Amino acid sequence: MTTIISLMKQVPVPSQMRMGEDGLMDRTKAKSMINVDCSYALEAGLQLKNMMGDVRLIVCSMGPPSFEQSLKMAISMGYDEAYLLSDRRLGGSDTYTTGYSIAGMLKHLGFGKGLNEDFIIVAGRQTSDGDTAHVPSQVAENMGIPQATFIEDVEFKDSHIIAKRIIEGGYQVLKLPIPCTLSFTPTGIPPRRPTLGGAIKARNTGVTMFNIDDIHLDDTRVGLSGSPTIVAKVTNIKSERPPVKMSLGNSAEALVADMIKNIKSGKNTLEIAEKKEAKKSDVPEDYEVVDFRDGSSGVLTWAEVAGDKLSRPSLELLTPAVHLARSLGNDTKVKTLLIGSNVQELAKELIYHGSDEVIIVDDERLAEYRILPFASIFEQVIKAHKPEIALFAATTAGRELAPRIGVKTKSGVTADCTALEIGEHKDIKKKVLYKPILESRRPTYGESKLATILGFVCPQMSTARAGTFEVPKKDESRTGTISTFNPKLTQEDFVAEILETHRGESGLASLFEADVIVTGGRGAIADDMKLVKDLAEALNEQGVNAQWASSRPVVDLGVCEYARQIGQTGKTVRPKLYIAVGVSGAIQHVVGMKEADTIVAINKNAKESIFSNADFGIVGEYDDIMPALIKEVKNGFVFGLEKK
Amino acid sequence: MINLFEFFLLNGVLMYNDDIIFTDVVIVGAGPAGLSTAICLADEFKKNGLTKRIIVIEKGNAIGAHILSGAIIKPEAFKELLTPEEYEGVPFDGDVTSDATLWLSENGSFALPLHPTCMDNKGNKIASLCQICKYLATLAEKRGVEVYSGFAVNEILYENNKVVGVKTIDTGVNYDGVKQKNYQQGSLVKASLVILAEGTRGTLAKQLKSKFDLRKDSMPQVYSLAIKELWSVPEGNIKEGATYHTFGYPLDEQNEFGGGFVYGLKDNKIALGFAVGLDYKDPSLDPHALMQIWKQHPDIKKFLKDGTLIEFGAKTIPEGGWNSMPKPYTDNVLIVGDSAGLVAMPALKGIHLAVTSGICAAKTAVKALAKNDTSDASLSLYKELIDNSRIFEEMYPYRNFRAVMTQGLYIGAMKFGFQLLTNGTCFFAPKLEHDNTTSLKTADFKGVSFKKRFAKKLTFDKKLTFDKVTSVFYSGTHHDEEQPIHLKVADIKDFTEINMKQYGTTCQYFCPADVYEEHLDKDGNLSLKIHAENCVHCKTCDIKTPNSAITWMTPYGGDGPQYQNM
Repeated sequence: MTTIISLMKQVPVPSQMRMGEDGLMDRTKAKSMINVDCSYALEAGLQLKNMMGDVRLIVCSMGPPSFEQSLKMAISMGYDEAYLLSDRRLGGSDTYTTGYSIAGMLKHLGFGKGLNEDFIIVAGRQTSDGDTAHVPSQVAENMGIPQATFIEDVEFKDSHIIAKRIIEGGYQVLKLPIPCTLSFTPTGIPPRRPTLGGAIKARNTGVTMFNIDDIHLDDTRVGLSGSPTIVAKVTNIKSERPPVKMSLGNSAEALVADMIKNIKSGKNTLEIAEKKEAKKSDVPEDYEVVDFRDGSSGVLTWAEVAGDKLSRPSLELLTPAVHLARSLGNDTKVKTLLIGSNVQELAKELIYHGSDEVIIVDDERLAEYRILPFASIFEQVIKAHKPEIALFAATTAGRELAPRIGVKTKSGVTADCTALEIGEHKDIKKKVLYKPILESRRPTYGESKLATILGFVCPQMSTARAGTFEVPKKDESRTGTISTFNPKLTQEDFVAEILETHRGESGLASLFEADVIVTGGRGAIADDMKLVKDLAEALNEQGVNAQWASSRPVVDLGVCEYARQIGQTGKTVRPKLYIAVGVSGAIQHVVGMKEADTIVAINKNAKESIFSNADFGIVGEYDDIMPALIKEVKNGFVFGLEKK
Repeated sequence: MINLFEFFLLNGVLMYNDDIIFTDVVIVGAGPAGLSTAICLADEFKKNGLTKRIIVIEKGNAIGAHILSGAIIKPEAFKELLTPEEYEGVPFDGDVTSDATLWLSENGSFALPLHPTCMDNKGNKIASLCQICKYLATLAEKRGVEVYSGFAVNEILYENNKVVGVKTIDTGVNYDGVKQKNYQQGSLVKASLVILAEGTRGTLAKQLKSKFDLRKDSMPQVYSLAIKELWSVPEGNIKEGATYHTFGYPLDEQNEFGGGFVYGLKDNKIALGFAVGLDYKDPSLDPHALMQIWKQHPDIKKFLKDGTLIEFGAKTIPEGGWNSMPKPYTDNVLIVGDSAGLVAMPALKGIHLAVTSGICAAKTAVKALAKNDTSDASLSLYKELIDNSRIFEEMYPYRNFRAVMTQGLYIGAMKFGFQLLTNGTCFFAPKLEHDNTTSLKTADFKGVSFKKRFAKKLTFDKKLTFDKVTSVFYSGTHHDEEQPIHLKVADIKDFTEINMKQYGTTCQYFCPADVYEEHLDKDGNLSLKIHAENCVHCKTCDIKTPNSAITWMTPYGGDGPQYQNM
């Protein structure tokens, strides 16, 4: 009998995380719930049971005893058994040790290579309080089994799993053998409600608790002490917006023209007291300076190939890579690993954009990205080249590949960084100064704080948030080395097949990828948001990646599908430009878009609160302003954004 | 013998995934009435050496999540219900230390030198009923009662025209009523005795009252809608334990009944609220706006200076009193608390009566279950116990209060003064009428319309005053979008023609949560948009909509507001 193992985490309820007086998320009063992605995984497990028939359903988690509540919820949804790994010594675990610890629990329960191999692990893509998406990959690597992440839909067919994986601008259909690990996006079948009968069963079913001794984990390899990465500091991100610049004018045309003028002259700015950079540290005399690189050198990046082109995020990645190499000095090289089929031409492109050395792995089986061979190649390249830093773009591929490699290299990974710097770290207890060290900064706690994460094992690995860094200027006079690497790959590396790859214009990821989001609210329903869509379309015609979305009332009216809803119950987006059309600006909506770089609001009512959350505003009728604005866009006005 | 489960299985009634639960007693609703019933019943079973199963089902996501009250509580009933140690642990906020009644004019006020003893709050406690219910639930669980929150009961099960249990709602049905891949049939709960403790305007109680004509000897129930806010204020804005009740402004005392309250809580918190009787006539009256207008009065505003809103909520209160009580039992069913209309007027206190009704119900139930007779006749003991309890004592003498108040404050107060001398007897007491009959058509309403009356006070600054959508945010309300809309309009064409065109869509005004929106499209067509996900479960639309055109039905369990300290 196959066992479906659902990995689940309990998190604070996002809707109860209210904005405190300081403008930051107040999560202290939040109640707990099953992480949304995990709840979709729970449902996927139940759906697999429907397809597979006789199946044992178990749910596992790691965390404090209070997680029992969510494990019982899983039972009331239809799970049979629940296990919780709970131990104070697990406190401070990073994702690397979390993956290791959970895999340890599963092995203890009898699952793994050489043990019971008839199992499927289902997990959420990522958690709302961690946002790394690492753990499923790391569990898979620790278990030594194939994986598919970012899954929306799953099927059981001919003793295999057929999974639909979301990729940038499309999807891929994968076929995996059992055992395997699957991680789910919250876009598939929504989690079922618990039944009263299930709740009664949950009341009478205990949750089995383990501590690390029960499952024979080495306590030096778990918790804070086992974690290769640490959070060195957390600073607040002020997300206050300066006052809106309102357009003046007597006609729609004049109002739009005035806004264009305003946009050209720039936003209002807030007076922010710049903090002085911390003094250059002078090493205290009794401190030992440690350079833990031990001969490792160079910054390695991954050049992701999508279709037959280099993906934009992996070109962006060369900006921090070059910056880090320069900061490190000593002629530190930027090396880029390029895996694919017939990719010689792309290698030059990488050098023009800042790479010093491109390492090519050319194999027709690797034309499309596949996690297992790619992870194995990286491991071999890292062994051969000993980079001190390895960087990946935080794409759907990068976000699963980096953590899987991180387990192989025992280095841990920092997810979704928005800044990467070289610095130093003073360990006061040990009286050691680690220097140089990669400081990976990433937003956390609902984007309200910036955490600096350090890793102490080379290569220090990070993924960089797509869209954060500019693509470096192309310089065709740049030269560099192009070398070929011949990895050893086995049949095992190809057990997961790609049945189909579809890169279309749409796909749910597109809202997150868009540079511009044009959102229609209640004020845009008269024509079913036609003018909103027209504006997005006009921007696309101008070579700007624009998408349209809506606020909740519009979704309620059936004018727009839920997948395009922005706000507390919908999606949180952070495009370069957010155009809110006829949106009132209820708090529920604002929390989903306040991180956009620039916000333009168009509304007929000057008192709507959307204007206190915008940089540029126009008060006017939807029917008047929108055509005037669309006309300007068609004439080439793209809000100062770069055309592609 | 074949058991019921197998019977259903063999007859194909049950499908693979179904479950059926057998219990002795099922209590629908974990408010003060339901939980008191459970606690007392568990004690009574124990006293009588009976081992019986008691299940409490609550639709709120957690115990207390759908509980809202002022609240000033008369504590005596809790003393009866609980052991002395347990009573000591009841999380009252504190004692009422002062008690003032203010009459407000637009900018001024004067304090009443005294108030009738029935409204005296000496010795009473201020509390968050949410917190008290959470506590009562733990006491019930300690006694072996099974309390399940997050499950909505939307159906009474009948056999041979008698109640035999309840059923939880089917889930995984989309907006259009189509079963989805995550469909889950609701659970059947078979019980010897069903206790309805759903609170104000209980959905099942409403069905039951109509099916068995339980209202045939009573006057219509009438309601108030109360809006409540919880604030955190700077030190010194209000004294802990200080309580204020207001009447007068912003109400038109001749036509509108109601008033406000401000209670000083510990830790510089304030509970304040405004209630208005739903028998008002102006079709555009907006109770949520009334609360916001009331807060702008200098005597109220001063308490809130530099404070912040923490929570918002709304609930209706059945305030018809003794004469509006339905027959609170029938075969296999007892109705307790607000569902039975147990609110003492004019003090507008129902919590202690809810507890008392729970005690009466439990004492009835244990006798009935012991002799295996839960028939109507056997359960009539419940009414006898009520008639000999504080429920009678506190409700009967004021039975005509709400009726005379329909004649306006001055005549009402005069007649009420007379009733105080005659133990409630009143000559020429008008009949109460259903709240859904009192709104006038727009053309028939001759007074100054609400918007004109308060033209200058209807801009909300989001510091002191709030629009409805922002308020809803502070109630933590959430509904699964993928479910059939839980607010049913009987006939959309009639609704447009009558309710919208003739009455001016009263629901867009009285709903405190912006659920209803009048929508006029480009071609001038009028239609009603229902934002069901905003609903705070106050049920005003079920009560006040002319022609009963809207029915409030139970959405999925766990949906609705998430009150923390209301």
